[in-house]
Amino acid sequence: MALSEKDIELKIREEAKKALATGEVSCVIGWTTTRFPDKMKPFFAETEAECDELVWNKYCINGTAKYALDDRYPSKKFAIIARGCDSRAINRMLKDKQLLRENLYIIGVVCDGKENPICEECQHKNPLTYDVLIGEPVPEQIDEKRFAEVEAFEKLSPDEKYEYWAKQYDKCIHCYACRNACPACNCVECYADQYRTGWQGKASDRIQNQVYGLTRAFHVGDRCIECGECERVCPMGLPIMRQTRKMLKDINDLFGDYECGMPDDAMPVLGGYTLADPDEFM
Amino acid sequence: MAIDHECSCSKNPLVPTLCKVIDVKQETPDVQTYTIQTVDGKKPFSPLPGQLAMISLLGVGEAMFSITAQGDDYIQSSIKRTGLLTEAFHEMQPGQQIGVRGPYGNHFPIDDFKGKDILFIGGGIGIAPVRSLIRYCLEHREDFGHLDILYGARSMNDICFKEDCLENWPKAPDTNVYITTDVPSEGWDGHVGFVPSYIEEVGFKPENKKVALCGPPIMITLSSASLLKMGFKKEDVITTLELRMKCGIGKCGRCNIGSKFVCLDGPVFSLAELDELPDEK
Amino acid sequence: MKFKKTDLNEVLKTLAREYTVFAPIVENEEKKFMPWAESKDVEMEGLNTIKPPKDVLFPNVEKMYRYKMGLEGFIEEIFPEDTKRILFGIRPCDMRSIDSMDKVFLTKEYVDSYYAKRRDDATIVAFGCTEAGRTCFCESMGLNPNDAPSADVMMNVSADGEDYVLEARTEKGEELVKKLEGLITDGGEAKKDTKCSLVINKAEDLDKKLAKMFEHPIWDKVTKGCIGCGTCTFVCPTCYCFDIDSENYGAEGCKYRCWDSCMFSDYTRLAGGANPRPTKKERLRNRYMHKLSYFNERYGETLCVGCGRCVEKCPAHLDISEFIEKASAAELGKEDK
Repeated sequence: MALSEKDIELKIREEAKKALATGEVSCVIGWTTTRFPDKMKPFFAETEAECDELVWNKYCINGTAKYALDDRYPSKKFAIIARGCDSRAINRMLKDKQLLRENLYIIGVVCDGKENPICEECQHKNPLTYDVLIGEPVPEQIDEKRFAEVEAFEKLSPDEKYEYWAKQYDKCIHCYACRNACPACNCVECYADQYRTGWQGKASDRIQNQVYGLTRAFHVGDRCIECGECERVCPMGLPIMRQTRKMLKDINDLFGDYECGMPDDAMPVLGGYTLADPDEFM
Repeated sequence: MAIDHECSCSKNPLVPTLCKVIDVKQETPDVQTYTIQTVDGKKPFSPLPGQLAMISLLGVGEAMFSITAQGDDYIQSSIKRTGLLTEAFHEMQPGQQIGVRGPYGNHFPIDDFKGKDILFIGGGIGIAPVRSLIRYCLEHREDFGHLDILYGARSMNDICFKEDCLENWPKAPDTNVYITTDVPSEGWDGHVGFVPSYIEEVGFKPENKKVALCGPPIMITLSSASLLKMGFKKEDVITTLELRMKCGIGKCGRCNIGSKFVCLDGPVFSLAELDELPDEK
Repeated sequence: MKFKKTDLNEVLKTLAREYTVFAPIVENEEKKFMPWAESKDVEMEGLNTIKPPKDVLFPNVEKMYRYKMGLEGFIEEIFPEDTKRILFGIRPCDMRSIDSMDKVFLTKEYVDSYYAKRRDDATIVAFGCTEAGRTCFCESMGLNPNDAPSADVMMNVSADGEDYVLEARTEKGEELVKKLEGLITDGGEAKKDTKCSLVINKAEDLDKKLAKMFEHPIWDKVTKGCIGCGTCTFVCPTCYCFDIDSENYGAEGCKYRCWDSCMFSDYTRLAGGANPRPTKKERLRNRYMHKLSYFNERYGETLCVGCGRCVEKCPAHLDISEFIEKASAAELGKEDK
């Protein structure tokens, strides 16, 4: 029988306490309440008492994995409450050599989808990598409509596409929330923070905003785990996933079925090169 | 109902005056001194010792530098190569046009220094702001008591203002000059050792003495500790801070330490004043 | 004085003959202050805009001067365009934040010419809130959602809900109201009973208390969730920090300033790479301290107006109102001098 929300919450607290009790873990990264019932915030339980503040409900939306990057050389392990998406984020950061597996203790939780539209398209509700698992694995769904939105968009004329994105990026306030929430954006120093090089202007205008959006989409490239955090955190509501999905669709078209953050040893699509790679522009 | 404007300036304080570099002097392998005039051959402004200038290499960037000397028709600034902007400064040839605005910030408390003995301590490029004060004191020699100048550079080649340090200042009336280098270098028969230990070695007496201390943060920290150990009071040790600055007029936000802005309320602070500020320097 | 709600368009049209009128307009799925034109969809009531109206006085990107590089260069100041403007219908929290920006840009030795010009050219019509968002806590910060004392004209919905009631409070305001002859009539009772959704416990002397809490353990906890983006600063009506940068076209170029965020690593990083605020802890601490303590010390008022925008928009659900309560209740330790 599937565990209830409350059961999972209690199990999370129990596993969190166990993890801290080993003495090898500095904190457990999960969620806790705010004064608003529909906002659960990332929370860092460092004591047994704080473990009882950890919660599990449909508003536990924020990604947890990326906080592990706050300390790349930790003296103790981070314990991370990881849903399917968080586990994929961890896998990708491991593959990018931004994290060491031995610095992580992963408490996997089977996720039933959150109050977040992206969860309806989720293909991995079961955590893919974990040290301990809470909940019974559920059958995974294949999202047939994964690229439907991109396909429809591809039919527009170049002018229509430009018009669409120009309007979107006119709203952009250049806050970098999409980048900072994104587990694929795990560079030690982002190109966009290197203002003195002149790659990226700081002014928030149509041109600089678009340069940033486009560059980020390309940089994320094959690293998007489709968690939708970029879109969720955007204060101005830009449909950012439409860009990263387009990258994924092209990668799928060119290199075959691909998903990022799987627990395999395969080289990331854009991280390797074979003679069979398509290169029609050469 | 907007409040009344409180203004001490007649023009837009963020727009620089077009100036030109009339002389470039290679002080050390990574420090150059630029002599700067307005394009019509005038002095851009008359700074007090310790004040700053925002110097702009048009098209590249602008940054805040201390003014190390001035004459009737020029100011001088010494710039160390540390990043992309200063790299570009070091490409400049005489005739190069630049933008200059200022002077910014407070200055060394010369009135408090009057009648006192003064100990000047400079480390590395930190000698640049100290030099503006030394020059002032030498120009108004009768206003001040005995002068001691202690300057530490990495090696002999890294000694800035060699003429001043090795020839002019030692000849100045009632003035002692102590030069040290961090490491021994060929041809250098002077003192070798770090500034803080040299300060203790010479054993300056705190009585009736003010100290002007500038250099890299670690040298300031250690030298301050030495001076305090030797009985100097925090009120009598004056230093300068360096933080990232953009506007220079206390508006753009970034150079705050607590509620103080280094560009406006600094860069000159006594150790006693720094004690009152949050530890974020 | 009052005019009929149904005459709003007529009022704006009349004003727009002589002024550029920035009104709360819904366009491109976003409500923001932008120049009014006949076809625009004005929404006076409802919730406040996501982006504050500060950009009318302090644009996101402002050209400062043109220059030419090389041996035969020039520097040529760029002046803000000469436009009489009206900020029509900004909320009391946003009016109060303009008071703070006035202090920053117009006092303390230097006057910012660009801001001063735009500010002098502006007449501000504030509008009392008719509804409070769930993150609104301006009353707890000493404001009144129904009234903006420093506005040139204060406007409220009438008690019967049929009219907008006006009160001109300055010369500029009187002048504006005069233009509306024929549209306005005497009398009218303003409805002033809007309450904030959020009431928080703020210590009376929080600014002085925080000044002693720089090393307090509270900072480790409250800053952990922060993801270091600039959302809070860009939606904040009182954040005024800016960067200065240039854009080149061949040998010529233009110096501009643009909004910056103290949450970014680049903000305080020195040329050599050293950074006095190396992690999000120091950065967020500086932001909260600036809002709630440093600004009080320098300018005599708090820099958080309780508009709740950052609370609503923070991706990590950080909540400055929660911080205010925690800090107000916190015990001072030995290390807090």
